[in-house]
Amino acid sequence: MTTQDTKVEKEAAKLSRRDFLGLLGKGAACAGAVAGAGAALASAGGANKLGGVGPTYQQEDAQYAEARKNPPKIPNYNWTEHKWAFGVDTNRCIGCLRCVEACKMENSVQMDRNHTRTWVERYTYLEGSDHAHVDSIHDIKNVMPGSKETRFVFDNRYKDAKVTKSFFVPKLCNQCEKPSCVQVCPTGATYKTPDGPVLIDSKYCIGCQYCVQACPYGARSLNHERGTAEKCNWCYHRITKGLNPACVEVCPTGTRIFGDRTDPESPISQFIRNNRVNVLKPDMGNMPNVFYAGIDKEVL
Amino acid sequence: MHKHIVRLLTLIAVVAVVAFSARYLARQDTFYQYGHYRGASVAEIASKLPKHQGSATCQTCHKEIYAEWSSGIHQKATKNNAIQGVVIKSGPGCEVCHTPAGNHPSKEAMPLSVEDRVTTITYARKGLHPANVPDRSLMREPADMRILCTNCHEKIPGRPVRGAVAGTSVPVQAVTDVVGIHGVPQVVVEGHGGAELCTTCHNPHSPRINFASVPRSPVDPKTGKALPVSAEKPGDAAAGKTVAAMCAGCHGEAGVSVNPEWPNLAGQHTNYLSDSIKAFKTGARKNDMMGPMAAGLSDADMRNVAAYFAKANCSVPGGDKAKAELGKAKAAAAGCAACHSSGGLRGNGVSGVSGAQAWPNLAGQNAAYLTIALKAFQDGSRNHAVMTSVAKTLSASDIDNLAAYYASASCK
Repeated sequence: MTTQDTKVEKEAAKLSRRDFLGLLGKGAACAGAVAGAGAALASAGGANKLGGVGPTYQQEDAQYAEARKNPPKIPNYNWTEHKWAFGVDTNRCIGCLRCVEACKMENSVQMDRNHTRTWVERYTYLEGSDHAHVDSIHDIKNVMPGSKETRFVFDNRYKDAKVTKSFFVPKLCNQCEKPSCVQVCPTGATYKTPDGPVLIDSKYCIGCQYCVQACPYGARSLNHERGTAEKCNWCYHRITKGLNPACVEVCPTGTRIFGDRTDPESPISQFIRNNRVNVLKPDMGNMPNVFYAGIDKEVL
Repeated sequence: MHKHIVRLLTLIAVVAVVAFSARYLARQDTFYQYGHYRGASVAEIASKLPKHQGSATCQTCHKEIYAEWSSGIHQKATKNNAIQGVVIKSGPGCEVCHTPAGNHPSKEAMPLSVEDRVTTITYARKGLHPANVPDRSLMREPADMRILCTNCHEKIPGRPVRGAVAGTSVPVQAVTDVVGIHGVPQVVVEGHGGAELCTTCHNPHSPRINFASVPRSPVDPKTGKALPVSAEKPGDAAAGKTVAAMCAGCHGEAGVSVNPEWPNLAGQHTNYLSDSIKAFKTGARKNDMMGPMAAGLSDADMRNVAAYFAKANCSVPGGDKAKAELGKAKAAAAGCAACHSSGGLRGNGVSGVSGAQAWPNLAGQNAAYLTIALKAFQDGSRNHAVMTSVAKTLSASDIDNLAAYYASASCK
């Protein structure tokens, strides 16, 4: 069905490495810190495949049992009963950028073009050229002149050129099954939840930006006002209340699709079933949870 | 054992004790509860309040506008959106243009109209909330509002095209300049409405053209009752009669002109009349007679005299019957009815009687004057975003026929 499923590898628990790391940790001077990181590294293979059943990334069985027994106190919501996923039908995207502005307002992201949780890229093939010209809202030309970078609109820059093919690709955090950003976080400020999203605990984030570098998709940035990392979390405060993420809520064309993969009739389950979908950079092994329909191989 | 080794071991021991005690004493209780992170943070993140409340929330108070939106194409698009079995909600909701509701109305006001949104953006840096901005309908420039429409409807490469796989250059069967897939029409702005605002012809809540209802008369969002068009006092017809005395020489005492080359004023829309006089005064419209006449009139005089002539009884001057028949067909083909029929393009209205106060009635007008007006739009001596482009599509005989048709149309 998807590249992700074929890529699942059952990694045998490497007990010897775990023991070795544990011993090393206890023996070293900064015993506490290293022991924690070592244990986290060692359990990296236990990612659950689908459906919120079983421990998530870097979660031990006992901790997963605790997650089922004493879930976080969120009213009318149990995080082990859901497995959220996101779909992007690029055939429908018109590049209106309402999602970008909605996200910024919903999540109080800085309003300039450099800080984004979600963004839209445009791939354009001109006549006689074999590669795509790519631009996104990070380009100053796609910010309304005189608007103090609060309003975004794709500039009609190919008006006089001969365009053979052009399309828009919305991008956001892929909420990977094996998130590189979580693996490198030195303080445990970012983590993978059993229901899907990778969250940031901004109280524990020290703003070292190691995660920004680790993410293969460029989905993370530093919020320069707060001094902590910034990323899309599928509007965790909305989906736990039964709402759609803000970008899905405002999308006027139905490009963005969101739902619960444990429910076979949810929009996302139908989208994955009825379309040929792909994920970005499957060879990185991160196992993304954002599924794309209608993208070229040039889109990464 | 050597002293320096003892010192080293002691140092290691001390650091180890500090590290272990830090791990067990200074650690948050919920750390490691679910994994290598603070378990309590999950509920903290989830407890944030949503700012986008959804269009259904707006319905509770803004019933009229909600009904307008939900019966129109901006919402209907959502119903016919099945792709390979998946029905996906789409079509812009309230908050796409009006910005998120947040705590509105309990704690904070929200931008109530599109104009307010522009104000918010303009004033945001000065720390002013839209509710505290003195002139709330202030727009930095009229074109600012158009960006809300062109965000989706401007034709640019990359937007999916009807009749083609998205993103490819498969030929488009363009009936008009409006193309798009999934009902997202796209226009080349310059050739579509020129400098005119989108809202002149389209109701943003239900933009498929029904000119009978546009420009939408302002409605109180809560009660659904009509509001006065502007804060200005409506004209007083009785007071206008004294002003009208100076017009009577050319336009007749009752608004029926003595010369067929001069327009009849009887029964014309008040707004169109006062707008025209104002345009002569400012020089936006030029006429050797009307310029000096209008120069001496105050705003109140203009409204009064407009009200006086609007109330006068119109008459049908009549025109060549054969030409009128041809003109009728041309009027349908050229789309005149879109603005100059009370029913708009799709409704059954009175032909020649305009749907909006700002546009002139053509019924009851002299054929000779109509011809002069159309030719003036054609040669550029009179300017209007829509009329200039329409007039340029007409031949001399078209103009004659159209003038005859509207001159013989019933003006009641």
